[in-house]
Amino acid sequence: MKEKTIVADIDRSRYDFRFEEDESSFLGSGLTAQIINEISQEKGDPDWMRELRLHSLDIYNKTEMVNWGPSIDELDVDKIITYIRQKSRMNTDWNDVPEDIKKTFENLGIPQAERESLAGVGAQYDSELVYHNVRKEVAQSGVVYTDLENAMHDERYAEMIKSHFMKLVPPTDHKFAALHGAVWSGGSFVYVPKGVRLEIPLQSYFRLNAKGAGQFEHTLIILEEDSYLHFIEGCSAPKYYEAGLHAGCVELYVGKNATLRYSTIENWSKNMYNLNTKRALVSEGGKIEWVSGSFGSHVSYLYPMSILNGEGARAEFTGITFAGEGQNLDTGAKMVHNAPNTSSYMNTKSISKSGGVSTFRSAVVVKENAHGSKSAVSCESLMLDSISRSDTIPAMDIRTKYADIGHEAKIGRISDESVFYLMSRGISEQEARAMIVRGFADNVSKELPLEYAMEMNNLIGLEMQGSIG
Amino acid sequence: MKTLKLNTLPAPTFSWLGVNDIQADVQPFPEEVTFLENGSCTQVTSGGAYEISAQDGNTLDAVMFISPESNAQIKTQVTASSGSAVRLVQIFESPAQTAAGVYAVLADNARFELVQLYLKTADTISEVNTQLEGIKAGFTANIGYLLGGSDRLDINLVARHLGRKTRSEINVKGVLDKNSRKTFKGTIDFVGGCAGASGAESEDTLLIGDKTVNKTVPLILCAEEDVEGSHGASIGRVDENHIFYMQSRGLPEEKIIQLMARSKIAQIISTISDEDLRERLNNTLLRGNDNE
Repeated sequence: MKEKTIVADIDRSRYDFRFEEDESSFLGSGLTAQIINEISQEKGDPDWMRELRLHSLDIYNKTEMVNWGPSIDELDVDKIITYIRQKSRMNTDWNDVPEDIKKTFENLGIPQAERESLAGVGAQYDSELVYHNVRKEVAQSGVVYTDLENAMHDERYAEMIKSHFMKLVPPTDHKFAALHGAVWSGGSFVYVPKGVRLEIPLQSYFRLNAKGAGQFEHTLIILEEDSYLHFIEGCSAPKYYEAGLHAGCVELYVGKNATLRYSTIENWSKNMYNLNTKRALVSEGGKIEWVSGSFGSHVSYLYPMSILNGEGARAEFTGITFAGEGQNLDTGAKMVHNAPNTSSYMNTKSISKSGGVSTFRSAVVVKENAHGSKSAVSCESLMLDSISRSDTIPAMDIRTKYADIGHEAKIGRISDESVFYLMSRGISEQEARAMIVRGFADNVSKELPLEYAMEMNNLIGLEMQGSIG
Repeated sequence: MKTLKLNTLPAPTFSWLGVNDIQADVQPFPEEVTFLENGSCTQVTSGGAYEISAQDGNTLDAVMFISPESNAQIKTQVTASSGSAVRLVQIFESPAQTAAGVYAVLADNARFELVQLYLKTADTISEVNTQLEGIKAGFTANIGYLLGGSDRLDINLVARHLGRKTRSEINVKGVLDKNSRKTFKGTIDFVGGCAGASGAESEDTLLIGDKTVNKTVPLILCAEEDVEGSHGASIGRVDENHIFYMQSRGLPEEKIIQLMARSKIAQIISTISDEDLRERLNNTLLRGNDNE
């Protein structure tokens, strides 16, 4: 009997290790003003932050659950542990990091990456940053890369954080933005001064180890005029049977003529609900480049938004989503043109297999004042079997006649003609199909940093088996 | 008068876009059903229910001019039996709020060709839902709109592929002038089991008014591996190269934009099989040009 081509699920063995947690470090599950006050006290919040947390909790309680997208009925937020005390303070020397945590990040290859190809590294374990370091020459150029809590208590940055924190993603944005505002913990603060171009990337890695816990880190990046930064974000967790929740928030401020590249490889385990919010505000002549790979999670809602707020601002989004068994990944991007001569470009690929559901969802909004703006969206989906599902849900809202907007989408399977063509050149059918799937993902993977591109190839793991049916 | 939720998007999206559905006060239509015969040309000036039924192997042509003078709900049920073909042309010139719906069910090898022209839409909510149930059933929709003033138009078109080797092709072209607002939601839905099906959808919108709002939501929903689906949308102004070329032939810019706008609709009119109707509509279009 012929056997169908098998495209393997993502190999998660590298991520599925874990260490036992001391439950006395859990602050308790549920969402009450008491818990929020405890988190606030634990972290030594300034008054404005405690008030923001309590205000966010109030908004959370009054806001309806999302009524579109994948079902999150099985997620019981009241059972999620929102805060876990860390065993040690944040360190700048790797040797001072507790042994089990150190081992976790070593398994994930983070210290090695820091040595070889990064300008700075931040590592968050459950609720808190455990390590943050930046190369001396980078720090001397005026670049600030530290954990958000310490920055908030540093008089040099306190005002800057107060005037930017949750201003781009207000707690009123949606229910999980409000949840984030109430219980956020950890995350990075990056400040790049005017004219500084950081040619090697910074990387933050977020690891959620505890069972039934949530991670609510906040990333705040401010780029001044004419600066450049490549920021890499990685996320993973071991698999548990209890639901985990990631409701992080990323706020990016891109100054005049500055460029920020924000790369993410999301590889949460398949018990995770990834309800993350990312947003960039781009000034005149500035550019935001999003590169996004979504491989993990049980359910994902992820649509980075770019607000092109200054004349000539640009945004690019390049993304790939791979949904396998038990996964419902709803990903895409939102572009808002709010100034003349702005441009946006989206290029996405998605692959569904073994009953996985992949949805591309987007919005392009061109406001009345965005004369001369251009936008192009291209999305392609590949179905590898008939028990999977792939949906494309784009939307455009155009309010000026001085704009050029294009959109194209395709969905299909591996074409028999392409396989036949390659076979006629002496390539086996299995290899031909593998080549086609690799080629399908290629224009996204080449945008990823090299080590991530290689990891992605491993992740997709095109193991062909048997003959083709 | 009843308040109904109409034009519900088959897969809802971001609520803030305001495209998931539309609420409207509509008049219930009379229970009596009017059957449209082959070759019929019906003036619809008030709410009503219509039915078009093509028997095995037959071809049925019908034209509906829809111009109700007051709030109206109009429903048209299309049934195409095995091997039959239905060609329906609907021309909307509605000075009043209109809620219209075309609901079609296609059997094996049946074809449904729908042409809709929206020439005036004070406030028109239009739904088209075609169930391609039979093997090799085919659905073609050619839709044109020419909106001006404060016209409002919300179209929700769904082509649901249930049968194997079914085909759908949706082609939408239109122009928005002055303060007009339009939402086009087009969904190609490949249901599991429709192996060999294909669907293509395109929309081409020309914006010539200063205060227009154009929303386009082209969906592909897919639960079947062996299908081909595509959609494309192009929204914008008249190509500057075209303007330059025609200006060099002595035409003023305003006239060029008018010509380009009418040509979009003329392309949809050209898909109508009835020659007399084509000529009549082209003349209407030309008169529109002369009056401006």
